[in-house]
Amino acid sequence: MTPMQQIAILPYRKVIAIAMRGLRFRLVKTFLVTCCIALALAFLTYILCSNGMTAHLADRASDALQQRLAREGMLDQLKSADKQSQTAWMLGIALLISFVGIVNAMLISVTERFREIGTMKCLGGLDSFIVKLYLIESLFQGVVGTVLGMVIGVILAYVEGVGRFGGDTWNLLPPGELAVLLVVTFGTGIVLTVAGALYPAWRAAKMEPVDAMRSEV
Amino acid sequence: MSATDNIVSVRGVKRRYKMGDEEVWALAGVDLDIRRGEYLSIMGPSGSGKSTLFNMIGGLDRPTEGQVLMDGQDVRGMDVRQIAYLRCHKVGFIFQTFNLVEVMTAEQNVMLPMTFAGVTDGEASGRARMLLEKVGLGKRYDHRPAQLSGGQQQRVAIARSLANDPDLILADEPTGNLDLKTGEEIIKMLSKFTKEMGKTVISATHDDKMLAASDRVVYLVDGQITQIKTQAELDIKIGGIADRSTGAAH
Repeated sequence: MTPMQQIAILPYRKVIAIAMRGLRFRLVKTFLVTCCIALALAFLTYILCSNGMTAHLADRASDALQQRLAREGMLDQLKSADKQSQTAWMLGIALLISFVGIVNAMLISVTERFREIGTMKCLGGLDSFIVKLYLIESLFQGVVGTVLGMVIGVILAYVEGVGRFGGDTWNLLPPGELAVLLVVTFGTGIVLTVAGALYPAWRAAKMEPVDAMRSEV
Repeated sequence: MSATDNIVSVRGVKRRYKMGDEEVWALAGVDLDIRRGEYLSIMGPSGSGKSTLFNMIGGLDRPTEGQVLMDGQDVRGMDVRQIAYLRCHKVGFIFQTFNLVEVMTAEQNVMLPMTFAGVTDGEASGRARMLLEKVGLGKRYDHRPAQLSGGQQQRVAIARSLANDPDLILADEPTGNLDLKTGEEIIKMLSKFTKEMGKTVISATHDDKMLAASDRVVYLVDGQITQIKTQAELDIKIGGIADRSTGAAH
Protein backbone atom coordinates (compact mmCIF):
# COMPACT_ATOMS: atom_id res chain seq x y z
CA MET A 1 0.00 0.00 0.00
CA THR A 2 1.37 3.40 -0.93
CA PRO A 3 1.80 5.86 1.94
CA MET A 4 -1.04 8.34 2.22
CA GLN A 5 -0.24 11.61 0.55
CA GLN A 6 -1.41 14.96 1.74
CA ILE A 7 -2.19 18.14 -0.08
CA ALA A 8 0.35 20.95 -0.20
CA ILE A 9 -0.40 24.28 1.45
CA LEU A 10 -1.27 26.83 -1.21
CA PRO A 11 1.35 29.63 -1.30
CA TYR A 12 0.17 33.09 -0.22
CA ARG A 13 0.85 34.46 -3.69
CA LYS A 14 -1.88 32.21 -5.10
CA VAL A 15 -4.35 32.93 -2.30
CA ILE A 16 -3.84 36.66 -2.87
CA ALA A 17 -4.43 36.25 -6.61
CA ILE A 18 -7.73 34.41 -5.95
CA ALA A 19 -8.80 36.98 -3.32
CA MET A 20 -8.07 39.90 -5.66
CA ARG A 21 -10.08 38.32 -8.45
CA GLY A 22 -13.06 38.11 -6.11
CA LEU A 23 -12.69 41.68 -4.89
CA ARG A 24 -12.47 43.02 -8.44
CA PHE A 25 -15.50 41.01 -9.53
CA ARG A 26 -17.59 42.17 -6.59
CA LEU A 27 -16.51 45.75 -7.12
CA VAL A 28 -19.58 47.50 -5.70
CA LYS A 29 -19.51 45.47 -2.50
CA THR A 30 -15.77 45.95 -2.15
CA PHE A 31 -16.22 49.69 -2.63
CA LEU A 32 -19.00 49.94 -0.02
CA VAL A 33 -17.05 48.07 2.65
CA THR A 34 -13.94 50.11 1.88
CA CYS A 35 -15.97 53.34 2.20
CA CYS A 36 -17.37 52.21 5.55
CA ILE A 37 -13.83 51.70 6.84
CA ALA A 38 -12.60 54.95 5.26
CA LEU A 39 -15.35 56.99 6.93
CA ALA A 40 -14.67 55.66 10.40
CA LEU A 41 -10.94 56.07 10.01
CA ALA A 42 -11.31 59.58 8.55
CA PHE A 43 -13.21 60.49 11.70
CA LEU A 44 -10.55 58.95 13.94
CA THR A 45 -7.71 60.70 12.09
CA TYR A 46 -9.53 64.01 12.14
CA ILE A 47 -10.23 63.84 15.88
CA LEU A 48 -6.69 62.77 16.75
CA CYS A 49 -5.14 65.49 14.59
CA SER A 50 -7.36 68.26 15.83
CA ASN A 51 -6.89 67.16 19.46
CA GLY A 52 -3.15 67.13 18.81
CA MET A 53 -3.33 70.70 17.57
CA THR A 54 -5.35 72.06 20.47
CA ALA A 55 -3.40 70.16 23.15
CA HIS A 56 -0.34 72.33 22.76
CA LEU A 57 -1.88 75.69 22.04
CA ALA A 58 -0.36 77.10 25.23
CA ASP A 59 3.25 76.43 24.28
CA ARG A 60 3.13 76.31 20.50
CA ALA A 61 0.71 79.00 19.39
CA SER A 62 1.99 82.51 18.70
CA ASP A 63 1.15 85.23 21.24
CA ALA A 64 -1.20 86.90 18.78
CA LEU A 65 -3.20 83.69 18.33
CA GLN A 66 -3.34 83.01 22.06
CA GLN A 67 -4.67 86.48 22.73
CA ARG A 68 -7.29 86.15 20.03
CA LEU A 69 -8.43 82.73 21.28
CA ALA A 70 -8.57 83.97 24.89
CA ARG A 71 -10.62 86.95 23.77
CA GLU A 72 -13.09 84.73 21.98
CA GLY A 73 -13.28 82.35 24.96
CA MET A 74 -12.23 79.45 22.72
CA LEU A 75 -9.26 78.43 24.83
CA ASP A 76 -11.43 77.32 27.75
CA GLN A 77 -13.96 75.75 25.46
CA LEU A 78 -11.33 73.63 23.72
CA LYS A 79 -10.00 72.37 27.01
CA SER A 80 -13.36 71.58 28.57
CA ALA A 81 -13.64 68.00 29.85
CA ASP A 82 -17.25 67.78 28.62
CA LYS A 83 -16.29 68.40 25.05
CA GLN A 84 -13.44 65.89 25.21
CA SER A 85 -15.54 63.06 26.64
CA GLN A 86 -18.23 63.76 24.08
CA THR A 87 -15.68 63.43 21.32
CA ALA A 88 -14.38 60.17 22.78
CA TRP A 89 -17.91 58.77 22.81
CA MET A 90 -18.54 59.72 19.22
CA LEU A 91 -15.23 58.22 18.22
CA GLY A 92 -16.00 54.95 20.00
CA ILE A 93 -19.39 54.73 18.35
CA ALA A 94 -17.96 55.47 14.89
CA LEU A 95 -15.40 52.70 15.29
CA LEU A 96 -17.99 50.29 16.64
CA ILE A 97 -20.36 50.97 13.74
CA SER A 98 -17.55 50.42 11.31
CA PHE A 99 -16.58 47.17 13.06
CA VAL A 100 -20.17 45.87 13.03
CA GLY A 101 -20.42 46.92 9.38
CA ILE A 102 -17.39 44.85 8.48
CA VAL A 103 -18.57 41.78 10.43
CA ASN A 104 -21.98 42.09 8.83
CA ALA A 105 -20.68 42.53 5.29
CA MET A 106 -18.31 39.59 5.66
CA LEU A 107 -21.00 37.35 7.19
CA ILE A 108 -23.34 38.12 4.30
CA SER A 109 -20.55 37.28 1.92
CA VAL A 110 -20.09 33.89 3.65
CA THR A 111 -23.81 33.10 3.30
CA GLU A 112 -23.89 34.23 -0.31
CA ARG A 113 -20.85 32.22 -1.23
CA PHE A 114 -21.77 28.92 0.47
CA ARG A 115 -21.66 27.11 -2.85
CA GLU A 116 -18.34 28.62 -3.88
CA ILE A 117 -16.77 27.73 -0.53
CA GLY A 118 -18.18 24.19 -0.61
CA THR A 119 -17.00 23.71 -4.18
CA MET A 120 -13.50 24.90 -3.36
CA LYS A 121 -13.38 22.40 -0.51
CA CYS A 122 -14.55 19.62 -2.83
CA LEU A 123 -11.75 20.52 -5.22
CA GLY A 124 -9.08 20.24 -2.53
CA GLY A 125 -9.22 23.60 -0.72
CA LEU A 126 -8.27 23.37 2.96
CA ASP A 127 -10.03 25.18 5.83
CA SER A 128 -6.90 27.26 6.26
CA PHE A 129 -7.15 28.38 2.62
CA ILE A 130 -10.70 29.63 3.17
CA VAL A 131 -9.63 31.51 6.32
CA LYS A 132 -6.71 33.10 4.48
CA LEU A 133 -8.96 34.01 1.55
CA TYR A 134 -11.37 35.92 3.80
CA LEU A 135 -8.64 37.55 5.89
CA ILE A 136 -6.75 38.71 2.80
CA GLU A 137 -9.92 40.12 1.24
CA SER A 138 -10.67 42.01 4.41
CA LEU A 139 -7.05 43.09 4.93
CA PHE A 140 -6.95 44.58 1.44
CA GLN A 141 -10.17 46.53 2.03
CA GLY A 142 -8.79 47.51 5.44
CA VAL A 143 -5.53 48.89 4.04
CA VAL A 144 -7.19 50.82 1.21
CA GLY A 145 -10.00 52.10 3.44
CA THR A 146 -7.64 53.11 6.23
CA VAL A 147 -5.20 54.97 3.96
CA LEU A 148 -8.10 56.73 2.24
CA GLY A 149 -9.61 57.61 5.61
CA MET A 150 -6.30 58.91 6.91
CA VAL A 151 -5.86 61.21 3.93
CA ILE A 152 -9.41 62.55 4.27
CA GLY A 153 -9.06 62.95 8.04
CA VAL A 154 -5.76 64.86 7.83
CA ILE A 155 -7.12 67.17 5.12
CA LEU A 156 -10.26 67.90 7.18
CA ALA A 157 -8.27 68.55 10.33
CA TYR A 158 -5.92 70.98 8.59
CA VAL A 159 -8.69 72.76 6.68
CA GLU A 160 -10.52 73.29 9.95
CA GLY A 161 -7.26 74.20 11.70
CA VAL A 162 -6.42 76.89 9.20
CA GLY A 163 -9.93 78.28 9.67
CA ARG A 164 -9.51 78.50 13.45
CA PHE A 165 -5.84 79.13 13.99
CA GLY A 166 -4.69 80.61 10.66
CA GLY A 167 -1.03 80.23 9.70
CA ASP A 168 -0.19 78.95 13.18
CA THR A 169 -1.80 75.60 12.30
CA TRP A 170 1.38 74.33 10.67
CA ASN A 171 3.35 74.75 13.92
CA LEU A 172 0.75 73.18 16.22
CA LEU A 173 1.35 69.59 15.20
CA PRO A 174 5.04 68.77 14.56
CA PRO A 175 5.73 66.12 11.86
CA GLY A 176 6.98 63.61 14.46
CA GLU A 177 3.71 63.76 16.40
CA LEU A 178 1.67 63.59 13.23
CA ALA A 179 3.60 60.49 12.17
CA VAL A 180 2.86 58.81 15.51
CA LEU A 181 -0.85 59.66 15.14
CA LEU A 182 -0.92 58.19 11.66
CA VAL A 183 0.79 54.98 12.78
CA VAL A 184 -1.79 54.61 15.57
CA THR A 185 -4.64 55.24 13.13
CA PHE A 186 -3.26 52.78 10.59
CA GLY A 187 -2.85 50.13 13.26
CA THR A 188 -6.40 50.73 14.50
CA GLY A 189 -7.78 50.40 10.96
CA ILE A 190 -5.99 47.13 10.30
CA VAL A 191 -6.86 45.59 13.67
CA LEU A 192 -10.47 46.65 13.21
CA THR A 193 -10.87 45.06 9.79
CA VAL A 194 -8.96 41.86 10.48
CA ALA A 195 -10.75 41.36 13.81
CA GLY A 196 -14.05 41.98 12.01
CA ALA A 197 -13.25 39.27 9.48
CA LEU A 198 -12.08 36.61 11.97
CA TYR A 199 -15.46 35.22 12.94
CA PRO A 200 -16.89 35.24 9.38
CA ALA A 201 -13.69 33.59 8.08
CA TRP A 202 -13.97 30.89 10.73
CA ARG A 203 -17.64 30.35 9.87
CA ALA A 204 -16.74 30.03 6.18
CA ALA A 205 -13.96 27.54 6.89
CA LYS A 206 -16.27 25.39 9.00
CA MET A 207 -18.84 25.05 6.22
CA GLU A 208 -19.20 21.50 4.98
CA PRO A 209 -18.18 20.69 1.41
CA VAL A 210 -21.52 18.89 1.15
CA ASP A 211 -23.12 22.35 1.19
CA ALA A 212 -21.92 22.71 -2.39
CA MET A 213 -24.44 20.00 -3.33
CA ARG A 214 -27.45 21.83 -1.97
CA SER A 215 -29.66 22.63 -4.90
CA GLU A 216 -31.81 25.22 -3.12
CA VAL A 217 -30.40 28.53 -1.94
CA MET B 1 -10.52 -9.22 -4.72
CA SER B 2 -7.40 -7.08 -4.53
CA ALA B 3 -7.44 -3.34 -3.91
CA THR B 4 -6.43 -2.58 -7.48
CA ASP B 5 -9.56 -4.13 -9.01
CA ASN B 6 -11.88 -2.06 -6.87
CA ILE B 7 -11.40 1.66 -6.85
CA VAL B 8 -13.85 2.08 -3.99
CA SER B 9 -15.06 -0.48 -1.49
CA VAL B 10 -17.91 0.31 0.86
CA ARG B 11 -18.06 -2.16 3.75
CA GLY B 12 -20.98 -2.32 6.13
CA VAL B 13 -21.38 1.45 6.07
CA LYS B 14 -23.94 3.00 8.36
CA ARG B 15 -24.53 6.70 8.76
CA ARG B 16 -26.63 8.17 11.51
CA TYR B 17 -27.85 11.75 11.61
CA LYS B 18 -29.42 13.57 14.49
CA MET B 19 -32.55 15.44 13.55
CA GLY B 20 -33.56 17.21 16.73
CA ASP B 21 -34.13 14.45 19.27
CA GLU B 22 -34.67 11.85 16.62
CA GLU B 23 -31.94 9.68 15.14
CA VAL B 24 -32.16 8.90 11.46
CA TRP B 25 -30.16 6.19 9.74
CA ALA B 26 -29.43 7.60 6.28
CA LEU B 27 -27.46 4.47 5.48
CA ALA B 28 -28.39 1.28 7.27
CA GLY B 29 -25.52 -1.01 6.31
CA VAL B 30 -24.32 -0.76 2.72
CA ASP B 31 -21.81 -3.05 1.01
CA LEU B 32 -20.64 -2.12 -2.46
CA ASP B 33 -17.54 -2.70 -4.55
CA ILE B 34 -16.95 -0.30 -7.39
CA ARG B 35 -14.76 -1.64 -10.15
CA ARG B 36 -12.09 0.38 -11.85
CA GLY B 37 -13.31 1.84 -15.14
CA GLU B 38 -17.02 1.16 -14.72
CA TYR B 39 -19.92 3.56 -15.06
CA LEU B 40 -22.11 3.10 -12.04
CA SER B 41 -25.39 4.84 -11.37
CA ILE B 42 -26.96 5.10 -7.96
CA MET B 43 -30.71 5.36 -8.29
CA GLY B 44 -33.14 6.14 -5.56
CA PRO B 45 -35.82 8.55 -4.50
CA SER B 46 -34.90 11.53 -2.35
CA GLY B 47 -34.37 10.45 1.24
CA SER B 48 -33.15 7.02 0.13
CA GLY B 49 -29.61 7.72 1.32
CA LYS B 50 -28.39 8.15 -2.25
CA SER B 51 -26.67 11.47 -1.54
CA THR B 52 -25.19 10.18 1.71
CA LEU B 53 -23.64 7.18 -0.03
CA PHE B 54 -22.40 9.45 -2.78
CA ASN B 55 -20.81 11.83 -0.25
CA MET B 56 -19.16 8.90 1.54
CA ILE B 57 -17.53 7.74 -1.67
CA GLY B 58 -16.19 11.22 -2.37
CA GLY B 59 -14.70 11.66 1.08
CA LEU B 60 -17.19 14.44 1.87
CA ASP B 61 -18.74 12.57 4.77
CA ARG B 62 -17.52 9.87 7.13
CA PRO B 63 -19.39 6.73 8.14
CA THR B 64 -20.74 6.24 11.67
CA GLU B 65 -19.93 2.56 11.29
CA GLY B 66 -18.16 0.55 8.65
CA GLN B 67 -15.43 1.38 6.19
CA VAL B 68 -15.01 3.27 2.94
CA LEU B 69 -11.83 2.22 1.19
CA MET B 70 -10.42 4.35 -1.63
CA ASP B 71 -7.70 2.47 -3.45
CA GLY B 72 -7.59 0.21 -0.42
CA GLN B 73 -7.12 3.08 2.06
CA ASP B 74 -9.65 3.72 4.78
CA VAL B 75 -11.09 7.22 4.48
CA ARG B 76 -11.93 7.31 8.18
CA GLY B 77 -8.29 7.19 9.20
CA MET B 78 -7.31 10.15 7.05
CA ASP B 79 -6.53 13.60 8.40
CA VAL B 80 -7.80 16.80 6.76
CA ARG B 81 -4.85 17.22 4.44
CA GLN B 82 -5.04 13.62 3.30
CA ILE B 83 -8.78 13.98 2.66
CA ALA B 84 -8.11 17.20 0.72
CA TYR B 85 -5.47 15.35 -1.31
CA LEU B 86 -8.02 12.66 -2.07
CA ARG B 87 -10.66 15.18 -3.19
CA CYS B 88 -8.11 17.07 -5.27
CA HIS B 89 -6.20 14.28 -6.99
CA LYS B 90 -8.29 11.13 -6.87
CA VAL B 91 -11.83 12.39 -7.35
CA GLY B 92 -13.39 14.79 -9.86
CA PHE B 93 -16.71 16.30 -8.81
CA ILE B 94 -19.58 17.27 -11.07
CA PHE B 95 -22.58 18.92 -9.44
CA GLN B 96 -26.22 19.29 -10.30
CA THR B 97 -25.90 23.07 -10.01
CA PHE B 98 -22.62 23.14 -12.00
CA ASN B 99 -20.88 25.06 -9.20
CA LEU B 100 -18.43 27.00 -11.27
CA VAL B 101 -16.80 29.82 -9.33
CA GLU B 102 -18.60 32.88 -10.71
CA VAL B 103 -15.66 35.25 -10.36
CA MET B 104 -13.48 33.04 -12.53
CA THR B 105 -13.41 32.43 -16.28
CA ALA B 106 -13.94 28.94 -17.70
CA GLU B 107 -10.18 28.52 -17.96
CA GLN B 108 -9.56 29.69 -14.39
CA ASN B 109 -12.27 27.34 -13.14
CA VAL B 110 -10.60 24.38 -14.80
CA MET B 111 -7.24 25.56 -13.46
CA LEU B 112 -8.46 25.74 -9.85
CA PRO B 113 -8.03 22.06 -8.88
CA MET B 114 -4.58 22.18 -10.49
CA THR B 115 -3.71 25.30 -8.48
CA PHE B 116 -4.70 23.42 -5.31
CA ALA B 117 -2.52 20.54 -6.51
CA GLY B 118 0.49 22.85 -6.84
CA VAL B 119 0.71 22.78 -10.65
CA THR B 120 2.39 25.87 -12.14
CA ASP B 121 0.16 28.47 -13.83
CA GLY B 122 1.63 27.88 -17.27
CA GLU B 123 1.15 24.15 -17.15
CA ALA B 124 -2.32 24.45 -15.62
CA SER B 125 -3.42 26.95 -18.26
CA GLY B 126 -2.20 24.69 -21.07
CA ARG B 127 -4.02 21.68 -19.69
CA ALA B 128 -7.18 23.72 -18.98
CA ARG B 129 -7.31 24.92 -22.61
CA MET B 130 -6.75 21.37 -23.84
CA LEU B 131 -9.60 20.04 -21.66
CA LEU B 132 -11.94 22.86 -22.69
CA GLU B 133 -11.13 22.06 -26.31
CA LYS B 134 -12.05 18.44 -25.58
CA VAL B 135 -15.48 19.38 -24.23
CA GLY B 136 -16.06 21.68 -27.21
CA LEU B 137 -15.49 25.02 -25.47
CA GLY B 138 -12.02 25.80 -26.77
CA LYS B 139 -13.06 29.26 -27.93
CA ARG B 140 -14.90 30.19 -24.75
CA TYR B 141 -12.06 29.77 -22.30
CA ASP B 142 -12.27 33.40 -21.17
CA HIS B 143 -16.06 33.43 -20.64
CA ARG B 144 -17.38 33.66 -17.14
CA PRO B 145 -20.10 31.22 -15.98
CA ALA B 146 -22.77 33.93 -16.31
CA GLN B 147 -21.91 34.19 -20.02
CA LEU B 148 -22.39 30.45 -20.59
CA SER B 149 -25.54 28.34 -20.96
CA GLY B 150 -26.34 25.59 -18.46
CA GLY B 151 -25.05 22.90 -20.79
CA GLN B 152 -21.86 24.84 -21.44
CA GLN B 153 -21.32 25.38 -17.71
CA GLN B 154 -21.72 21.66 -17.10
CA ARG B 155 -19.18 20.98 -19.84
CA VAL B 156 -16.73 23.32 -18.11
CA ALA B 157 -17.46 21.38 -14.93
CA ILE B 158 -16.64 18.13 -16.72
CA ALA B 159 -13.35 19.64 -17.90
CA ARG B 160 -12.67 20.78 -14.33
CA SER B 161 -13.40 17.33 -12.94
CA LEU B 162 -10.71 15.92 -15.25
CA ALA B 163 -8.15 18.60 -14.37
CA ASN B 164 -5.92 16.52 -12.11
CA ASP B 165 -6.56 13.34 -14.08
CA PRO B 166 -8.40 11.58 -11.25
CA ASP B 167 -9.38 7.93 -11.52
CA LEU B 168 -12.87 8.58 -10.25
CA ILE B 169 -15.52 11.04 -11.44
CA LEU B 170 -18.41 11.66 -9.06
CA ALA B 171 -21.43 13.20 -10.71
CA ASP B 172 -24.31 14.30 -8.49
CA GLU B 173 -27.46 14.51 -10.64
CA PRO B 174 -25.43 15.99 -13.51
CA THR B 175 -28.49 16.37 -15.72
CA GLY B 176 -30.85 17.58 -13.00
CA ASN B 177 -30.76 21.22 -14.08
CA LEU B 178 -30.59 20.65 -17.83
CA ASP B 179 -33.17 20.16 -20.56
CA LEU B 180 -33.60 16.72 -22.12
CA LYS B 181 -31.34 17.22 -25.14
CA THR B 182 -28.53 18.94 -23.26
CA GLY B 183 -28.74 16.31 -20.53
CA GLU B 184 -28.25 13.60 -23.13
CA GLU B 185 -25.20 15.36 -24.53
CA ILE B 186 -23.68 15.58 -21.08
CA ILE B 187 -24.31 11.88 -20.41
CA LYS B 188 -22.79 10.94 -23.78
CA MET B 189 -19.74 13.04 -23.02
CA LEU B 190 -19.32 11.50 -19.57
CA SER B 191 -19.68 7.99 -20.84
CA LYS B 192 -17.26 8.69 -23.72
CA PHE B 193 -14.60 9.88 -21.29
CA THR B 194 -15.10 6.85 -19.08
CA LYS B 195 -14.33 4.58 -21.96
CA GLU B 196 -11.62 6.67 -23.64
CA MET B 197 -9.70 7.69 -20.57
CA GLY B 198 -10.45 4.68 -18.41
CA LYS B 199 -12.19 6.75 -15.73
CA THR B 200 -14.62 5.33 -13.24
CA VAL B 201 -17.85 7.33 -13.12
CA ILE B 202 -20.27 7.18 -10.22
CA SER B 203 -23.43 9.09 -10.71
CA ALA B 204 -26.28 9.72 -8.31
CA THR B 205 -29.41 10.18 -10.34
CA HIS B 206 -33.05 9.57 -10.84
CA ASP B 207 -32.79 10.24 -14.56
CA ASP B 208 -33.76 7.20 -16.65
CA LYS B 209 -31.51 8.42 -19.47
CA MET B 210 -28.49 7.74 -17.29
CA LEU B 211 -29.34 4.04 -17.19
CA ALA B 212 -28.49 3.29 -20.81
CA ALA B 213 -24.96 4.62 -20.28
CA SER B 214 -24.42 2.68 -17.04
CA ASP B 215 -22.55 -0.57 -16.66
CA ARG B 216 -24.34 -1.18 -13.40
CA VAL B 217 -27.19 0.46 -11.57
CA VAL B 218 -27.50 0.35 -7.81
CA TYR B 219 -30.99 0.85 -6.40
CA LEU B 220 -31.15 2.32 -2.95
CA VAL B 221 -34.24 2.45 -0.75
CA ASP B 222 -34.36 3.51 2.90
CA GLY B 223 -30.59 3.45 3.27
CA GLN B 224 -30.19 -0.06 1.89
CA ILE B 225 -29.30 -1.50 -1.49
CA THR B 226 -32.35 -3.32 -2.78
CA GLN B 227 -30.86 -4.50 -6.06
CA ILE B 228 -27.90 -4.10 -8.38
CA LYS B 229 -28.51 -4.51 -12.09
CA THR B 230 -25.93 -4.99 -14.82
CA GLN B 231 -26.19 -3.50 -18.29
CA ALA B 232 -27.33 -6.86 -19.68
CA GLU B 233 -30.19 -7.04 -17.21
CA LEU B 234 -31.16 -3.48 -18.00
CA ASP B 235 -31.12 -4.09 -21.76
CA ILE B 236 -33.81 -6.70 -21.48
CA LYS B 237 -36.12 -4.28 -19.82
CA ILE B 238 -35.33 -1.18 -21.82
CA GLY B 239 -38.16 -0.10 -24.00
CA GLY B 240 -40.60 0.09 -21.18
CA ILE B 241 -37.88 1.38 -18.92
CA ALA B 242 -38.46 -0.87 -16.02
CA ASP B 243 -38.60 -0.42 -12.31
CA ARG B 244 -40.08 2.99 -12.08
CA SER B 245 -41.19 1.99 -8.64
CA THR B 246 -37.63 2.06 -7.33
CA GLY B 247 -36.24 4.66 -9.67
CA ALA B 248 -39.08 7.07 -9.07
CA ALA B 249 -38.55 10.80 -9.29
CA HIS B 250 -39.06 13.22 -6.41
